[in-house]
Amino acid sequence: MIRSENGYFGEFGGRFVPEILLPALTELEDLFFGLRDDPAFWQEFVTLCQEFSGRPTPLTPLRRLSKQLGGAQIWLKREDLNHSGAHKVNNVLGQGLLVQRMGKQRVIAETGAGQHGLATAIMAARLGLEATVYMGAEDIERQYSNVFWMRQLGSDVVGVTTGAQTLKEALDEALRDWAASVETTHYVLGTACGPAPFPELVSYFQSIISDEIKEQSMRQMGRLPDEIVACVGGGSNAMGAFGAFLETPEVNLVGVEAGGISLEDGKHSIRLSQNTGETGIAQGYKTLFLQNDDGQLGDTHSIAAGLDYVGVSPILAYLSQQGRVIPESATDDEVTEAFSLLMKTEGIIPALESAHGLAGGFKRARQMKPEQNVVINLSGRGDKDIFTVARAFPQREWTEFLQREAVRSTEALAKKRGH
Amino acid sequence: MFPAQYEDLQIMSHAVIGFPSLEENEKAIAGLAEAGVKLIELQVPFSDPVADGHTLVNACYEALKHGGSVQATLDLATTVCARHPEVTFVLMSYLNPLFRYGLEELFEKASAAGIKGMIVPDWPVEEIEPWLPTLDALGLSPILMVTPNTAAERVEKIAKASRGMIYVVSRMGVTGHETQWGEKFQHYIAEIRKHTDLPLAVGFGVRTAEDLNALTGKAEVAAFCSQYIEWQRDEGSEVAANKMKSIIQEIDSPQA
Repeated sequence: MIRSENGYFGEFGGRFVPEILLPALTELEDLFFGLRDDPAFWQEFVTLCQEFSGRPTPLTPLRRLSKQLGGAQIWLKREDLNHSGAHKVNNVLGQGLLVQRMGKQRVIAETGAGQHGLATAIMAARLGLEATVYMGAEDIERQYSNVFWMRQLGSDVVGVTTGAQTLKEALDEALRDWAASVETTHYVLGTACGPAPFPELVSYFQSIISDEIKEQSMRQMGRLPDEIVACVGGGSNAMGAFGAFLETPEVNLVGVEAGGISLEDGKHSIRLSQNTGETGIAQGYKTLFLQNDDGQLGDTHSIAAGLDYVGVSPILAYLSQQGRVIPESATDDEVTEAFSLLMKTEGIIPALESAHGLAGGFKRARQMKPEQNVVINLSGRGDKDIFTVARAFPQREWTEFLQREAVRSTEALAKKRGH
Repeated sequence: MFPAQYEDLQIMSHAVIGFPSLEENEKAIAGLAEAGVKLIELQVPFSDPVADGHTLVNACYEALKHGGSVQATLDLATTVCARHPEVTFVLMSYLNPLFRYGLEELFEKASAAGIKGMIVPDWPVEEIEPWLPTLDALGLSPILMVTPNTAAERVEKIAKASRGMIYVVSRMGVTGHETQWGEKFQHYIAEIRKHTDLPLAVGFGVRTAEDLNALTGKAEVAAFCSQYIEWQRDEGSEVAANKMKSIIQEIDSPQA
């Protein structure tokens, strides 16, 4: 696994935070540095993931689809089968172990698609911690089912109404909460971004994904895959899928960003692949940000709330600059097409975030030979996207059902108020 | 200039460049100078101001819509520094707009405009240290922040890198909420003074005449910012300046 030099990966990374947050970050770093090389700690983490989240997740061959596309053999790493429905839970369970060691009683988190928030709510419920999740008001509308479950699990979900009301603003707001609560609260940062040690720490826990891919490939393919493809929002599932292969140059590593609607400013979330992102320092770290000439962070768009982010992991910015990670992008339309193709051909419902990995991976697999193998990290399942997908594939029956359901839900509320 | 150690309490207030508009900034600053404010922070608006509470966050968003930028801040600084020589102007910004502008060029232009100091909340001391020779040569003082949870050896390091004054964050959290000025706060101030002869500017939660009275004799500068911006937002720059004036008169001639 990659190691930073004083929090930096090449020119990216660092720790650019208000002074007030510094003690908590150094405390976390000291704890993490003391544990990360301890095999017993890693085993404790792996066991927790097995017992609670069903790891190891399978490596599923897509036989029908590979044949249909006529290129390489495509395999899916099934992070969608985690408890909570996405890879996010790996990092959260790991940070839960750290929270227990620090003795903090409250956790906060930012969330885009709601998967990280949901995982945090689950961890908090299990460990008996108080949890507050910050989520952009726009994202709440896009991912309401996750909001519903977070609240049922006992977490406080706070809608953030500043700016574009998406992940960037949620992260700002979580940092503000932390500035006031840092002595009793742990910030469960959800992706491989933010101030050191978070990029390294999140990548460390997520690298359980690539450890498993390595072992499963040897067993199921008889060798390592030729290529690993993952979608890139903040970069945690990509770092997880790539981590164990960084020193293995014969395995290509491909990160697929959200191409959105077009390359116009504010219509996409591509930071790595089209020279759209530029070096900046914000949200606690230095990386490639979408920003204007005045250094104001830009607006982003993606059909997938979890990829709709203005910065990117400093580790991925570095690896992409070094040529180790190949950046690609997929548009909203390509993503819905890949989404549909996977469902209809293989019976798997992907998250829209992960469908970016599918779109990029399918495109590349077509150009490869049938004896080659591509692993796509299916970072999450698509149940949460039911409303967004229903709008992408409109059906009269669904709309009519929602109307009936709205009436039933209103009646249930009236009845509760009546008692 | 910056006050001397143990000099009587001076007020530092605030302008977010572009809020409510660039034209209004000039008038508002004139009003503050006339009210007796001795130091004014010129804040470059930023899209992601993580150390600020909602008052300044919203002011930043408004300011960005009305032409606020690094360049607009430098232009305004050139005007107001010349017009109000009795006021010390301090550049306040998050790091990214300055970084994008080019730090070296920014420092030179800020100094040429007449700006005396800089407050950059997300610029840690380790990153500032290499710039100290440049900043010293330009006479541009980095005003670093100390917070209630800063360890003693770090206060020492921050004090060494600071020039002009040290910004003492009064409590945990972001700008714009109340603060208590009891024994614990006095102890905090005393601990910082062990490491520095620089004057102390206290900020975060300075919102009333009582707060200013509480700080009299304890700090050299009180940063009266969010409350002022709220007055400016709700009642306009003129009323805000009048309120500032009466509050300053109150501390100059205490009732009790």
